[in-house]
Amino acid sequence: MDFGSFLSAPEINIKIVTYRDIFQDKAMIENRFGEEYRDRSAILKLDPADLKQLSIKAGDTVILKNSLGKIVVKAEESGYETPHRGIAYMPNSPWSNMLVSDETGGTGVPRFKDISATVTSAKGEKVTELRF
Amino acid sequence: MEKNYYVCTGCGLLCDDIEVESEKNIINKVYTACRVGVAHMKKAKGETNFLVNNKPVDEATAVREAASILKNAKNPLIFGLGTSTDETQILAIELAKKTNATLDDTSSFCLGPLVEALLKDKLKTCTLEDIRNKADVIIFWGADPSDSHPRHLSKHSYFPRGSEKQKGWEEERTAIAIDIRKSHTAKICGNYFFQIPPGGDTEFIDALIAALSGKLPKTSYNFPPKKILELANILKGAKFGVIFAGLGLIYSLEDLEPVFRLMKILNEKANFHLVPMVGHYNMRGFNENLFAETGYVNRVKFEDGMVKHGPEYSVVESLKAKTVDAALIIGSDPLSSLPRSVSKNLLEIPVISIDPCETLTSKHAKVYINTAISGVESGGSATRMDGTKVSFKPVVETIHPSDEAILKKIMEAV
Ligand code: SF4
Repeated sequence: MDFGSFLSAPEINIKIVTYRDIFQDKAMIENRFGEEYRDRSAILKLDPADLKQLSIKAGDTVILKNSLGKIVVKAEESGYETPHRGIAYMPNSPWSNMLVSDETGGTGVPRFKDISATVTSAKGEKVTELRF
Repeated sequence: MEKNYYVCTGCGLLCDDIEVESEKNIINKVYTACRVGVAHMKKAKGETNFLVNNKPVDEATAVREAASILKNAKNPLIFGLGTSTDETQILAIELAKKTNATLDDTSSFCLGPLVEALLKDKLKTCTLEDIRNKADVIIFWGADPSDSHPRHLSKHSYFPRGSEKQKGWEEERTAIAIDIRKSHTAKICGNYFFQIPPGGDTEFIDALIAALSGKLPKTSYNFPPKKILELANILKGAKFGVIFAGLGLIYSLEDLEPVFRLMKILNEKANFHLVPMVGHYNMRGFNENLFAETGYVNRVKFEDGMVKHGPEYSVVESLKAKTVDAALIIGSDPLSSLPRSVSKNLLEIPVISIDPCETLTSKHAKVYINTAISGVESGGSATRMDGTKVSFKPVVETIHPSDEAILKKIMEAV
């Protein structure tokens, strides 16, 4: 019997920092509904140790979840030399915006670059489609 | 032969040295522009022209429907305009007055406060030409122009041989990055990359001010004091320093007060300027045009000739509180760029989308008008990120009307 299937997939809490990427920008200008834009946007760059803890490898999909929503994106290794466990990076896009809170303290400025969420393996689930 | 240079409206740099090859109003080749600029200028347009309820209509019907939405609304929201010309923006302000609208733009949730401080002369600034010719210490703070403004370092801020900087970056310029991640720009800065934790900017500013005043710099995240002292020494020696302030810095501050304090001491010890890293090609123009008209850079509500201002008139708060009952969105895609928790409220009100490309917002709009690409297919004037005025002519002709022409018609019909 496969006891592994009874164990819940490892889950970690992360802070997501969003950023801009020239290749992603170019892909958006060319076609914001296209595959290239999705492939360059719906990604999460993690510390290798976090990938390991999630028992996934680069290229696998992960579920990002918080009280605002749930999205499936592709996990990647960040490639930064300095370790950054618990912090992950994601290009700013409609995908990251699905997890941004409407809590602004009345300032009119959402915390676009400061997102908290949990990550778990998506076990092969496909990347979230861009629609309402 | 005299060369014909065009302006690229792909970002806030408004590069004015672009050459193109075009045939039958199709741009085949773009020279000098960056990757983003080339994509922007060669962007292929969709077939759609005018849609009402997602069905093709003629221009007059679309304009009539848009005008009727605005007329029937008690408090319409007019939003966008960062990629529109001054001429279009001024019309939009008029339209907002005429329809008692709430008017806001993207600066509301990015660099608006900085541009406002500059317009009110609260910060010393300079032009990109000054920087190319004179700057010796350049700080990219929470900014990554290598990705957001691709020709920034090569055309203006770091690599060029300026008139007073003939030895260039190798000997005469120091580029410094202060960021929470090693961006492409930070890589170029090499040893002068100062990595701070998310939200650590205010403390870093305080520590830097301490170091500039000869005190021991301390941070709760134990940034090596020696490195901050070294940085303070470089800044003190600047003959012509500049801080390029990006979203990373602005989002991490509660208000601009730490920036004012830092700029004050930097100008006591040396000579420093600040330039905001404005993304959209004419966001700064919108701030200036609205400021000239109302004394505010964004977040206004017109009411019977009066103007009100405050965070409650920001696009985010007014959508959140559902105080607006229709929306005219010009050259912007809030369903993509705002938090979904906020933008979803747009689905409950009639939306008019005026945009050169189909977007999530245009797909959910009651009226969609496909306009010329501003700066490629229609001309006008705009303000570069550093406040310099730039005029441009269209590169090619198009059958699509400009957003300016459409706003004029809507204005006549309301
Ligand atoms: S840097 Fe900006 S303005 Fe210059 S070519 Fe690139 S996109 Fe166009």
